[in-house]
Amino acid sequence: MNRQHFFAAVLGFVLLALVPVFTQNPYYIHLIETIMIYAVLLFGLDIVVGYTGQVSLGHAGLFGIGAYTAGVLFLKVGAPFWVIVPASIAVTAFFGALLALPALRVSGPYLAMVTLAFGTIIQILINEMTFLTEGPMGLKIPKPTVAGYKFNEESFYWVVCAMLALSLLVVHRVLRSQLGRAFEALRGSPVASDCMGVSVYKYKVYAFVISAGFAGLAGCLYAYSEQYISPNTYNNELTVMFLLAIIMGGRKTRLGALLGAAIIVLLPKLLDDLEAFRMVASALAVLMLVGGVIGVSRKITTVKAMAVPVLGTAALAAFSFWLESITDWRLSIFGLMILFVVYYLQDGIVGFARSLLGRRGASQSTVHHVLAAGQGDPILQAVKNTGEDLLVAKQVLMQFGGLKAINQVDLRIKRGTIHGLIGPNGSGKSTMMNVLTGIYVPTAGSIEFEGRSVVGRTSSDIALSGIARTFQNVQLFGEMTALQNVQVGLHHTFESNFLDVALATPRSRREEAAATQRGMGLLAFVGLADLADEQARNLPYGKQRLLEIARALALDPQLLLLDEPAAGLTAPDIKELVSIIRKIRDHGITVILIEHHMDVVMGVCDTVSVLDFGQKIAEGQPAEVQANEKVIEAYLGGTAA
Amino acid sequence: MEILLQLIYSGVALGMIYAVIAFGYQLTFATSDTLNFGQGEALMLGALVALTLVDGMGLNYWLAIPIVCAFGLLQGAVVERIGVRPAIKIKSEFGWIMSTIALGIIFKNVAENVWGRDDLKFPSPLPEAPMKILGANVLPMEILVIAGAVVMMLAVEFFNRKTIYGKAVVATFNDRDAAKLMGINTGLVITFSYALSSLTASFAGMLIAPLTLTGATMGSVLGLKAFAVAIIGGLTSGMGIIVGGIILGVAETTTGFYLSTGYKDVPGLVLLLLVLAVKPAGLFGKSAIKKV
Amino acid sequence: MLTIKNLEAGYGKVHVLHGISLEVPKGKVVTLIGSNGAGKTTTMRAVSGMIAPTAGEILLNGERIDGMESFAIAKRGLAHSPEGRRVFATMTVTDNLLLGAFPRLTGSRPKGDVAGDLDRAMDLFPRLKERRDQLAGTLSGGEQQMLAMARAVMLNPEVVLLDEPSMGLAPILVEEVFKIIANLKSQGVTMLLVEQFAAAALNVADYGYVLENGRISVHGEASSLKNDPAVKAAYLGGGH
Repeated sequence: MNRQHFFAAVLGFVLLALVPVFTQNPYYIHLIETIMIYAVLLFGLDIVVGYTGQVSLGHAGLFGIGAYTAGVLFLKVGAPFWVIVPASIAVTAFFGALLALPALRVSGPYLAMVTLAFGTIIQILINEMTFLTEGPMGLKIPKPTVAGYKFNEESFYWVVCAMLALSLLVVHRVLRSQLGRAFEALRGSPVASDCMGVSVYKYKVYAFVISAGFAGLAGCLYAYSEQYISPNTYNNELTVMFLLAIIMGGRKTRLGALLGAAIIVLLPKLLDDLEAFRMVASALAVLMLVGGVIGVSRKITTVKAMAVPVLGTAALAAFSFWLESITDWRLSIFGLMILFVVYYLQDGIVGFARSLLGRRGASQSTVHHVLAAGQGDPILQAVKNTGEDLLVAKQVLMQFGGLKAINQVDLRIKRGTIHGLIGPNGSGKSTMMNVLTGIYVPTAGSIEFEGRSVVGRTSSDIALSGIARTFQNVQLFGEMTALQNVQVGLHHTFESNFLDVALATPRSRREEAAATQRGMGLLAFVGLADLADEQARNLPYGKQRLLEIARALALDPQLLLLDEPAAGLTAPDIKELVSIIRKIRDHGITVILIEHHMDVVMGVCDTVSVLDFGQKIAEGQPAEVQANEKVIEAYLGGTAA
Repeated sequence: MEILLQLIYSGVALGMIYAVIAFGYQLTFATSDTLNFGQGEALMLGALVALTLVDGMGLNYWLAIPIVCAFGLLQGAVVERIGVRPAIKIKSEFGWIMSTIALGIIFKNVAENVWGRDDLKFPSPLPEAPMKILGANVLPMEILVIAGAVVMMLAVEFFNRKTIYGKAVVATFNDRDAAKLMGINTGLVITFSYALSSLTASFAGMLIAPLTLTGATMGSVLGLKAFAVAIIGGLTSGMGIIVGGIILGVAETTTGFYLSTGYKDVPGLVLLLLVLAVKPAGLFGKSAIKKV
Repeated sequence: MLTIKNLEAGYGKVHVLHGISLEVPKGKVVTLIGSNGAGKTTTMRAVSGMIAPTAGEILLNGERIDGMESFAIAKRGLAHSPEGRRVFATMTVTDNLLLGAFPRLTGSRPKGDVAGDLDRAMDLFPRLKERRDQLAGTLSGGEQQMLAMARAVMLNPEVVLLDEPSMGLAPILVEEVFKIIANLKSQGVTMLLVEQFAAAALNVADYGYVLENGRISVHGEASSLKNDPAVKAAYLGGGH
């Protein structure tokens, strides 16, 4: 984080730590302690919800596992504090894995459903397994004693404070590392992510397990903080509150998590006090009206868009005056808040505030990357055995229902060449690409790359074995910078794992620095070095296509598949593209080029294969193919009828 | 043996209720790739509205059925309008999950305040004395549940296959863009599938109310277990949810009896995780080929 | 009948059409040809409402339809046989055809004789008659193309958009498809035909427009375009 953020964080923690000095009231100390504990859990939940974009409805259950691991270990085994804390984290992470491994194998709302079920089971099990958990009676846990010193309310508060700081540091490091980039990538474009060697499934599970670990830590601290735990706390209402906290505070920000935690802890207190609620609701309604009037008069928004929030808050205020007690309607208030936040405050309060203060966006990197002078060639020389067969496809058949998209096609790609693949629309070229990169599994036929079969392997496995690609419809990770996009391609160069990253070991720092260097080098190769810190989605279209090539090269491939790289490019862009393709070939990398721009194909390819209605109708040197009768007929059509 | 058979009968009845709710999930998932996380609450509202009609206003049970169904249609349309349509517009999966959950919470809270937090007894429209089939006891109401569920699902299938509107719904499921080219208002189709889905849930609520206690909390766990059935059977197979429902229902009644009632909710949820681990498309589902 | 004025359209950042204009008079077959990426399918999608144009006007019988939803445009009598055919795979051939007549069966268009039209469609496409109860997803590519075209005709439309009917089909099937198009032409069906196969398209059309990089480069009577070297250059490169 940059200077400003760092000092703000330090200041914040100092203030937090000073709270028990300023107020001796245990009620407030406990309140803030609870907020901090929730914030620890929310840091982890944000990774799942904010970064990988999955909905988890089971974090209350994970929270409960953390709390009960602490409670049970204390009660049954008398374990000391410094054993209980890591044990809670480990056990909860284990349950996280148990959940995520099956649930994330398919995309869709399955994780939400499964975690909802999980949360319910956990509560039932805790309730029923009285031999272990004392069931509905609950467990008592006193404050811990370490090395003879027994913590009291105040000193335990500082322990929690320290844990919060630690969690913040770890989460920050993880999100800034290759892990964080992987999480964002899999949400930005799952297909591209897999094809860059970052397995979407693996990293979704990873994210969930990390968040479970945080939930376990939070649960353990909670048990010591409350000194009494019982099963009915860890219910679906709490899980929904956690989600509300994240989306209301703001996703992908630590401040948002803290704000969200404060809201969900203080809100029920507010709702218990009808007078206070009436005041707040009325104030809110007035604010909304004023804001709406200003917004409409300044043309920032329309009457129609503001109608719902203005009328809604007014109705809420009126409703609060009509009621005798607000406690019964607590849940409806929560429900309405969720609806409001989901549709009107998608970036949460923090995101909303940021957009008001100026469009900083969610860019993590305010560092300006410069290309270091005198560094080596960013592209590894591919194996030099020019002329031998690199990829051999035999009798490939790809059938969808009754349609034969690829019909008995043989393809032999020689190492060190640029091999063009052309044909009319619907002839099967892109399907072939998808088959070669594992997106489709061929109905029949064999495909061997460097002697090893490709059929049936996952896209990320194929990518890591040396086949990289670009996409016909640009699949960049839009919200990440150009450099970060390339760094995702460099993911395979990292050996550090979660612990390395969390502890900022020399290995992880070395690898990150190397990836930055190489990333800049690759960007320079395609001429994008000065756009390194621009968000990918803001780049002009032509540059986006070049960025995809740089990212693909980061995989150190033996074979590069380019899917219509010239589509939509202007003439000068195309010239640049051609020279880049030639440079790639000079590094010994074999290229398969799908293109419609005949000039490009004829000018740069060594061999050209022509597909028509799923079959190969011609193959040879470009000039031969261009003059081939059958090819001309395939494109222009014969003199029919 | 007699007891086992009795447990099986109850299990099948229970399973058919799960199947009907799961059917509702399939309806909306097929046309819009979304589902209603508050489906259980739709069931609960159907049961409570029926209770007010039958117990509070003295209306005949059979006459109350179409009223409750109409209520279900309305409730589903409201959920779609408020919760799902805006989320589909902004292409947010997170959006519809959270908003259907939120609506479910609101409905449940409203029900708690209107009908109270206690569970209520629903007067059974059929005699309460058990009948003997193959030597074991079956309640007439249980047979009604099975019959009602089957009739409901067959009616929807008939609608889908034989009427042009039903075919329009299936077309929307097949290819939304192409359906639009046919002049089909796919937005309306989605609203309709939600309305239909809540109708089936409300109807199921009316069916099961006399067999269990009726109250604001009855929906949540049922809705959850119906998820399990929908996954076990496969989100696209009609046959699968009936089989899945029966498996789950019987597993629950037998667990409840032979192990302990506290654990009876566990097998369904465990089965859910198992099926996802082994065959994510469900026992009967077909894994789709995704086109890039 | 169908008029396009200065149409601009694209996908997000990619601008595909840079202002094209064309006319499809009643009873005539007009073809839009050009190489891949030129913007032919984008034009079709803009006309039938699958994408919204960024500028320009599209008029059907004098009424502006640009920016309308596809189902509203279909109700006004514009049928689109889309690129890639897009038949309803889990439904039978007969059901697919009936759905083509959806607006007629639900009161949005004059009903006419749907059952009779169904029979006539089967006669026009004998392969479909043989497979009337078969699921559309199991048909071959050529048969699916027939089905998509027949389905479009079932609307009893004012104008039919045919998007790359020959795509992915074997030459023999392409011949059959174009015979059917000629047949429809002789029945007076107004058509806008988008095709890669310039020769076949120009043989059956009355008038042609050549699309290159999102602009109309050449247009004229189909018979005179057939021998125009500019057409060949637009496809196989070389010459500009």
